[in-house]
Amino acid sequence: MTLAPQQGRALIVVGALASIFTALAFRLFDLHVLQHKELSLMAQANREQVVRRQGRRGSVLDVNGNLLAESLSVRIVTADATITAPHAAEIADKLAPLLKTDPSSLAQKLSGQSHYVRLSPRVKLDEDAVQKIRAMKLKGIYFEDQFVRSYPNGPLASHVIGFVDAEHKGVQGIEASMEDYLQGQSGYEVIERDRKGREIRALRTEEQGPQDGLNVVLTIDQVIQHIAEQELDKAMEQFKPQAGAILVSRPKTGEILAMSSRPTFDPTDMAATSADARRNRCISDVAEPGSTFKIVVCSGALNEGIVTLTDPFDCENGAFIYAGRVLHDAHPYGVLSVEEILFHSSNIGAAKVGLKMGPTRLYDYIRRYGFGRKTDIALPGEVSGIAHPLSRWNGLSITRIPMGHEIAVTPLQMLMAMNTIANKGVRMKPMIVKSVVGAEGTTVLQCQPQVVGRVITAPTSELMAMALRKVVGPDGTAPKAAVPGFDVAGKTGTAQKIENGQYVRKYFSTFVGYFPAADPQVSILVSLDDPTGDVYYGGSVAGPVFRAAAEKIAEYLGMEPQAAPTEVAKVS
Amino acid sequence: MGVGSPTGGRSRRTTPRPTFVMKRNRKRGSLRFGTVSKSLAICACVAISGVAYVWQKNAIYRLGDEIKKREAILWSAQKRNLMLSAQLAHLESPAELETKCRACNLSLVAPGESQVVRLYEPGPEWDVQMATAPVPTRTAVQQQAQLRLRNAQSRALAQQGL
Repeated sequence: MTLAPQQGRALIVVGALASIFTALAFRLFDLHVLQHKELSLMAQANREQVVRRQGRRGSVLDVNGNLLAESLSVRIVTADATITAPHAAEIADKLAPLLKTDPSSLAQKLSGQSHYVRLSPRVKLDEDAVQKIRAMKLKGIYFEDQFVRSYPNGPLASHVIGFVDAEHKGVQGIEASMEDYLQGQSGYEVIERDRKGREIRALRTEEQGPQDGLNVVLTIDQVIQHIAEQELDKAMEQFKPQAGAILVSRPKTGEILAMSSRPTFDPTDMAATSADARRNRCISDVAEPGSTFKIVVCSGALNEGIVTLTDPFDCENGAFIYAGRVLHDAHPYGVLSVEEILFHSSNIGAAKVGLKMGPTRLYDYIRRYGFGRKTDIALPGEVSGIAHPLSRWNGLSITRIPMGHEIAVTPLQMLMAMNTIANKGVRMKPMIVKSVVGAEGTTVLQCQPQVVGRVITAPTSELMAMALRKVVGPDGTAPKAAVPGFDVAGKTGTAQKIENGQYVRKYFSTFVGYFPAADPQVSILVSLDDPTGDVYYGGSVAGPVFRAAAEKIAEYLGMEPQAAPTEVAKVS
Repeated sequence: MGVGSPTGGRSRRTTPRPTFVMKRNRKRGSLRFGTVSKSLAICACVAISGVAYVWQKNAIYRLGDEIKKREAILWSAQKRNLMLSAQLAHLESPAELETKCRACNLSLVAPGESQVVRLYEPGPEWDVQMATAPVPTRTAVQQQAQLRLRNAQSRALAQQGL
């Protein structure tokens, strides 16, 4: 059988077409069936895009709900320098006035090799500027939403609040210690975009919204903090010390109402701060407490029944030789009772009380008051101070420690010791965080005052209060610390500083006290490191600061003066 | 080609052509209403489904756009709210208030103790006392209040040296 030429050609065409379609069919089968999994994933990856959404960091609030730190969303300008490089100078000239920056530095950024350059890091760009930049239609210039941390009160309570780094992570203060609560959780969206780059909302396949961080409520009161800082600043101006610290607390609960130290820093301008200024001296600096430490030895001896307030001690007219060394008093005293030792602040008297008490019991009380260990306040960077164990005491230690030498404490430890006496002998843990609340106001964590333990009995604390009230009396060491209308109990301290292992003529002037003495509501510690001028005693330097702060705080808290000289009406 | 034998050769038809009578198509006579209506209904269903599908898809996209716009508005409002709360906190900060007072020369100071009238909340002992006390008449209560007010005013004036 022979085929006609037309039939042959037709067969060739049909065959060719059949093989082409077979090949195509196989390719289709290959793409749609054999390689389905890989290719569908590739196609999905081409279409879809995962967009991460950052959760907002929680706020820090004071005890009354006033904002101390908050995260704000700002729009920043970024660039792909590989695209902008050819026209860097031109673009920089256009953008510099809107970004409020220098054109030359901007041009330098725009001419680099990086695909991602931040042109306006942490600058709050207003909407007008955004629209103007958008209208310029500059290639390689993009916008990005970012969070920046805002501190509405500026440097107020900066040592307590702390600050965050460029990645929005807490570095110091509450920002660091409460990082787990404050940080938000990022969310994500799987989206598809149209050819203009806009998201097609209907094709959003997955969506996990970001979760904002929790808000931390502090025990700090913004107004009391302001009063404390204002008075500390005045003292810094007047006495020009190297550093200063002030602490205000509620003795019954251990709540810290204000905490500040100088030098300070502004968390909104971290570039201008030094590491020295960032240090929270209330918890991270230690110094010999000086005479303020006499409350430990006297209360311990009273509590053990070794002495009574009226027991006489010969203060050797200002020079007491013990273990071959002479111990001096600031003023020569003869025989003083324990009460007088406290309000005259006799070193020799305190040393003799210490000798009567013995090293073991003295060391026991030092530890019971919490010296030599951290108070566990919820702030990073706290140090434990120095309280040598008995094995490291020398022959002189028993006379030096009662007057606040050979021991180093933080201002917070000293305040908590005074609070123990104010709180009928019960030591409280310092409290700086009141609660942690969600964005809707739901309380996640409620902090309660915590009792550490009983140090002295209530009657002993009353005896101590009786003696400490006389410190601010006319015969005491701090008459300038007396607050009109209120009964104040306190203790002065003037500790010599040590430089290169030697005591030098530089002093730490301290006053720590509480009021009203009968029903303590507020306790305050003021400490100034090396005040200049002729006056350096704690009662003369720190005492007036205590009084000024106490007067204003009492007024703010609406505390009624006990002796009400100006009471107008009493309606009951 | 044409009609022929299987071998392809021509052959004469010998047998008479059978008469083939087709069966009459019963449906040919008239179109049945039911069938037509069913067909139309199916067509309509398909058409409506198609149109509805397109309409629904269109609605989804349109709603998606609206959601997107509202999300943007919400985000913008939240952002602005945060900005304003920070601004408010700054304006309410004690340092700022003090600066404003000084700048405006308002001479605002905290009230002194002599300017404060303290009112005491009645305690449990007061309740006990009042439970046993005779109920005062309206006039007596008014008189007591007036007396208290007058006493308070006279004491305040005396303290101010008037």
